[in-house]
Amino acid sequence: MTGKLFPAQEIGSIAKPRWQLLGQRGAPLDERARAEWRSWNERIRFAPAGDPLAEALLDGRADASGGAGIRDLGALFGLRFFESAGLDRVYDGEARRIEMYEYPIRQMGGFQFLGHVRSFDNKYYLKAAATGPVSLERPYHLEEFDFVKAHARGIPKLPITGPYTLADWSYNEYYLGREAGWKGRAARRRAQREFVVEVARRAIRPTLKALLDRGCRVIQIDEPAAGTHPDEADLVAEGFNAATEGLDGEFSMHICFSEYASLFPAILEAKRCRQWAWEFANRDSPEHDGYEVLKLFKEYGDDREIGLGVVDVHRDEVESAEVVAERILRASRYLGDPSKIWVNPDCGLRTRSLEIAYRKLQRVVEGAALARARQNGSAA
Amino acid sequence: MQIETSLTGPFPRPEALVAATRDLDRGRTGAAEVDALRRRTEEEILALERRLGFSPVTGGFLGWPDLFRPLAETWRGFTVGPLTRWFETNTFFRQPVLHHPPERVPGAFAALLPAAPRGSGLPTKALLPGPYTFAGLLDNRSGETREALVHRLGRLLAEETAELVAAGYAEVEFPEPLLVVRPPEGPRAESVLAAYRAIAEGAGAARTSVWTYFADATPSLKLLGRLPVTSVGIDLSETEPESLRALPERRALGLGVLDPRTSLAEDPREVARIVRELESKLSPPRIVLGPGGPLDLLPYGTAVGKLESLAAARQLLAPGAVA
Repeated sequence: MTGKLFPAQEIGSIAKPRWQLLGQRGAPLDERARAEWRSWNERIRFAPAGDPLAEALLDGRADASGGAGIRDLGALFGLRFFESAGLDRVYDGEARRIEMYEYPIRQMGGFQFLGHVRSFDNKYYLKAAATGPVSLERPYHLEEFDFVKAHARGIPKLPITGPYTLADWSYNEYYLGREAGWKGRAARRRAQREFVVEVARRAIRPTLKALLDRGCRVIQIDEPAAGTHPDEADLVAEGFNAATEGLDGEFSMHICFSEYASLFPAILEAKRCRQWAWEFANRDSPEHDGYEVLKLFKEYGDDREIGLGVVDVHRDEVESAEVVAERILRASRYLGDPSKIWVNPDCGLRTRSLEIAYRKLQRVVEGAALARARQNGSAA
Repeated sequence: MQIETSLTGPFPRPEALVAATRDLDRGRTGAAEVDALRRRTEEEILALERRLGFSPVTGGFLGWPDLFRPLAETWRGFTVGPLTRWFETNTFFRQPVLHHPPERVPGAFAALLPAAPRGSGLPTKALLPGPYTFAGLLDNRSGETREALVHRLGRLLAEETAELVAAGYAEVEFPEPLLVVRPPEGPRAESVLAAYRAIAEGAGAARTSVWTYFADATPSLKLLGRLPVTSVGIDLSETEPESLRALPERRALGLGVLDPRTSLAEDPREVARIVRELESKLSPPRIVLGPGGPLDLLPYGTAVGKLESLAAARQLLAPGAVA
């Protein structure tokens, strides 16, 4: 912890600024992109003064800047965005990443991309099948972390997609194919367990180890698929344990938009998870207490940290500091120990504009300060 | 005994249509161009169904954003709500929000069905959401109880069915995953039966089928056996074939023998073995082999491969085929 009550952290990606998107494509910046650059640089001072890449970009010589340089600037932007909003744990806003499934899978062996599957409406994702034993071609996110480490003023917290989610979002041909006979529920379950654990052991764990060896201490393992199959919460925990076995890091597990009650108590078997970083604000309303589920931690005697989602990432309405503070103090009562709480947005803010995302982050920090003052006042 | 193969539920979009619909969202192409490509693709799916000997044919329902949207956007009383997870999958539907008792708009839904099969001269099948699943997954702000809503939807779907049958459809299929995921009991189960009685009246001599998937059907078999429909489909990836002995009525049986949750192709010989075992134990007058759930959980090419396995299994089961 940081020594203060209710420290704040980010949870994932933010929208890429227009100048970064244009610059990466080699397109010259239009006036909108230049204005965006100027405005944000005045507010958060992300561009080093006199940086030749930045000057080339602004002068319309995007090609001269090069894609890698633009991504570096994007990462600096993300870092300063979080830091200037007042967060204690920061990352680069996933400035170099496009999504959270395809890239990790492409760093692994044993997978074959089969084609697009519709997620909803006209949105699709490219889906792979495990067609052979899972292996790791190369540990990933390392250079990205090196850059953050070299430039961060806050504590870096790296996000990485977890083994259960990677397996759940893939087809399992290889391990299921080794099951003899009719592939019913029992066979599918056995094969999925093997798949999750193999992804964890052979791909995620070596990557985590390489990150730890480079000085990365705080790692958020993202498992958005954790709630997809309520009867597989034990697999989520088993994958987490296999991925972190023998590793000494501060690991958290991020889950969002799931029916959390169905994960208990199996999820608590993720032994090396120090923090549960979950979404709550989205489900909190005058009619429904979105934080009540936290009582289950107390009920099951689990006293690990909570990464408390206090602002909704799916609405533009910016929560007031008062609302954020009330949520934090309510969660404190349910958990019985305010010192366990970190505060954060529900999830990554990339679906919101940069302006809305920034204001929401500021309210997270302001709300935490308000809650801290009230908590300290009531304790005095 | 008669063995048929047929598509159940929507079919995935091929990569060209994926690219076109993405371009449409990004303003890089027009709706007319995408519609034309979709119609051509539906012709291709129809040709595939014909080549593989499937009957009735569907054309794949490629234009539908999800199972409910065609009704939620054409019937009165609805708005379209938030993205909601489609059972235990990584796909989502927009939850229909019902503000007052729904009203059907004659002809509006039928216009959203694929055009290709109707002119093909082949028996054709339409798709409508099952009343229990529809009522259970929408956001009901109408003030009606769930039971009353199931019954009301049943009556409206019966009118829709009658219209489709009059337009030449040989069968109407009702996906009902919720019947096995959250089996209804007591008055709610009775409302489901009442809804399907209305639908049976609307269908007249045409076939009606209920397809269940995403959960073990065993606890629901008694109710499924009471449904007044021509056939009931069971997802054999979730339900142990042995448990189907509990089916109380010997009638046409749908067997979901393709698992859309895995890209691993089914072995036609293994499918044929399972079907033969069930045939000997249950002696249904007709068996319909199909996917155990919507194939749009797979990429297009993989789904096509699975349909070819299904056709091969049917050939293995044909009279005189070598076991």
